[in-house]
Amino acid sequence: MIFSSITFLFFFLPVVLSIYYIVPRKFKNLVLLVASLFFYFYGEPIYVFLMIFSIISTYIFGLLIDKYKKYSKVFLAISICISVGILVYFKYTNFIIQNINLWLKNKIDFIYVILPIGISFYTFQMISYNIDVYRGQAKVQKNILKLAMYISLFPQLIAGPIVRYTTIEGQLENRTHTLEKFSNGVRRFIIGLGKKVLIANVLGELASKFLVSNDVSILFFWLYGISAMLQIYFDFSGYSDMAIGLGKMFGFEFLENFNYPYIAKTVTDFWRRWHISLSSWFRDYIYIPLGGNRVSKIKWIRNILLVWMLTGLWHGASWNFVIWGLYFGIILLIEKIFLDKFLEKFPDILKRIYVLVIVMISFIIFNGEGVEQILRNIGGLIGFRRIPLVSNESLYYFKSYFVILLVGIIGSTPLIKNIVTSKKLNKIAGYLEPLVLLIILVVSTSYIIDGSFNPFLYFRF
Amino acid sequence: MQENKIKDAIITIVFLTTLFSVFIINIIVKDKTISDSERRKLVSFPKITKSNIMDGELSEKFEKYFSDQFVGRDFFRSLKTVWSLNIFNQKDNNELFVKDNSLYKMEYKLKEKNVEKSAEKIQEIYNKYLTNMNVYYAIIPEKNYYLKKDDHLKMDYEKIKEIMNKNLRDINYIDIWSSLNLQDYYRTDLHWKQENLYDVVNCLKKDMGLKNTDFSQYNIQDKGNFYGVYYGQLGVNIEPDKLYILTNNELESCVTYNFETNQKGKIYQNPKTADKYDIYLSGAVPLVTVENPNSKSRKELLLFRDSFGSSLAPLLLDSYRKITLIDIRYMSSKNLDQYIDFKEQDVLFLYSSLVLNQNILK
Repeated sequence: MIFSSITFLFFFLPVVLSIYYIVPRKFKNLVLLVASLFFYFYGEPIYVFLMIFSIISTYIFGLLIDKYKKYSKVFLAISICISVGILVYFKYTNFIIQNINLWLKNKIDFIYVILPIGISFYTFQMISYNIDVYRGQAKVQKNILKLAMYISLFPQLIAGPIVRYTTIEGQLENRTHTLEKFSNGVRRFIIGLGKKVLIANVLGELASKFLVSNDVSILFFWLYGISAMLQIYFDFSGYSDMAIGLGKMFGFEFLENFNYPYIAKTVTDFWRRWHISLSSWFRDYIYIPLGGNRVSKIKWIRNILLVWMLTGLWHGASWNFVIWGLYFGIILLIEKIFLDKFLEKFPDILKRIYVLVIVMISFIIFNGEGVEQILRNIGGLIGFRRIPLVSNESLYYFKSYFVILLVGIIGSTPLIKNIVTSKKLNKIAGYLEPLVLLIILVVSTSYIIDGSFNPFLYFRF
Repeated sequence: MQENKIKDAIITIVFLTTLFSVFIINIIVKDKTISDSERRKLVSFPKITKSNIMDGELSEKFEKYFSDQFVGRDFFRSLKTVWSLNIFNQKDNNELFVKDNSLYKMEYKLKEKNVEKSAEKIQEIYNKYLTNMNVYYAIIPEKNYYLKKDDHLKMDYEKIKEIMNKNLRDINYIDIWSSLNLQDYYRTDLHWKQENLYDVVNCLKKDMGLKNTDFSQYNIQDKGNFYGVYYGQLGVNIEPDKLYILTNNELESCVTYNFETNQKGKIYQNPKTADKYDIYLSGAVPLVTVENPNSKSRKELLLFRDSFGSSLAPLLLDSYRKITLIDIRYMSSKNLDQYIDFKEQDVLFLYSSLVLNQNILK
């Protein structure tokens, strides 16, 4: 089930909210667990059993790691192998076969497998839980229902943020439900809904128009680059907003996942602001255990490239994701080795343009299907092969999507937040807020009703 | 502090009220079977089976069902149109746009291969059934062809003409484009207006060696407001068109025969569908004949056509005793000789650019 659907908004959510708030406190977790399993079952009827199996396995190994300290490392290794093994089987088997087949005369047959939604997210949560228990950073959860609720909690189940067990450990036992928290949840949820439905989906149409068009002009390549870049940001950060908002409605506080990444002044800074829960996961569970930067320069370079290659692979079983990850790894290395000092001398605007161009190219790689298309789409930005600057089609779409591009660009900066929280406008903005939220909700509903099925981009990861 | 609490309460109440009222209304209100504005059947409550639950098909069906049966669906679709065209200032909504109180579709991608295949199909029919007959073809451009000073994307109409002419050398081309203008099309629909076809009819007749039609012989009957197909698709609130029919005693005495239903009828019959344009020869019918018992002519016409032909055909009946309208979008052309005795009829292929661009001729 997706948040931006009629089923979720006007059927699932009101039913779950009413049951949740009617039942006594001791049954609230159970209500959420059942609702979460139904939420997953609705979209992935078979794979809900895979998730339940993974939860049971994580639960048992958590207990074993905690109880048998002497063998805790072995139990941790087994639990990681199971979780990673399941992930690899469902996500990477055909990719591996495809690459092995390049070297074989007798080709191996591909397997028929569909990627279970959200598996990359909940697998990482399970691994982090067992590692945290092993490290003594988290208390083992003896109640399987609570652990199951942590992993399957529907607001964050299928596209993050990757909530750490330590973040909500206490909240599983005891959390507060206040009007302020609930209304903040509503605010975040509606804003996230608007980001997804009114901005990401509309810009997605523009990107799709480029992909099916035979028209070539520099303007169209830029429109594609910018719209794809804004689409992925609003799609994913919109989902995170909705997840955080829903969490608040049910009394949880999740950590932020985005912090205006497109105003970053370095690529390193960008990754502190983009998909924070993923980059911090790789930092804490891969990069630092490998020695981080407290090792020889060669090993440090190895660590960075390995982590970024894995980050790329996490996004999908395809070489363009690997290249995308390594692309960032190399740029981060270049920044750390010398570019940072060089960049410092430049005005902020130039630093930001540098980051935006790097990131835009990264998303062209990310979205690309094959090296040829990627090179064509990057080359088109600089008029490779003497293509015209504009064409009728690109000019038309530029005019047609100008306002929404502008909304996207402004919305990806803190400008609106700064305006509404400024002393002068704070009061007026306060009065208008309920009305604005209602408009976003109603207009988003109209877009959902008129539109076709639009799953979130990050569902496939 | 107090102010913030009030605001929190308002936001919470408004949100919950919206959610719950929509939920309750949608449960209470009975499902509809047909959407008049969208001219289609709406999805009904899906059957729940073990297999469609387990393969995930049921959830997809539910999404479609809830979206189709959502109370106020037409209002929300209109709101989306207004928002995208006026607030986001987009130039079109789902490739439909409004210009000077008229609605247009922006189908602009010329699919050359499709046009070639359409031409090949016509040539194939010609080779199989029509050699040694008087055969003609004409193309009807989409109405946005006539839209001047406008930057919406248009198909390369000249190219369609070029491809068709190149591929149909044995068949006489009749150029009707200069006989039409924007006012000859409905504002809310894709079709042309029957009452404005004077120039088109006489242009066709001239090239087909027929006597001009005198339009003063017809009475114009007002059939009321007409909300065209673009009106329903765009969901925008603009004035409806008026639908008129041209008739006289001769046309009223004509008898139609529908091969699909084996039923006789009249040229103009109140449509059973939501599309009022179906008043002309009952709309989309694969094979229908119209016989004019009072005709002085002994000639017959085979009209290979799409929906545009339905409103034009009656105006050719003063020159023909019988017109057979064949819609090869809905029937295969392979076995036409089972139904039609190909002898010395005149033949006219009359297709809109929209149809030629789709490769849907069978």
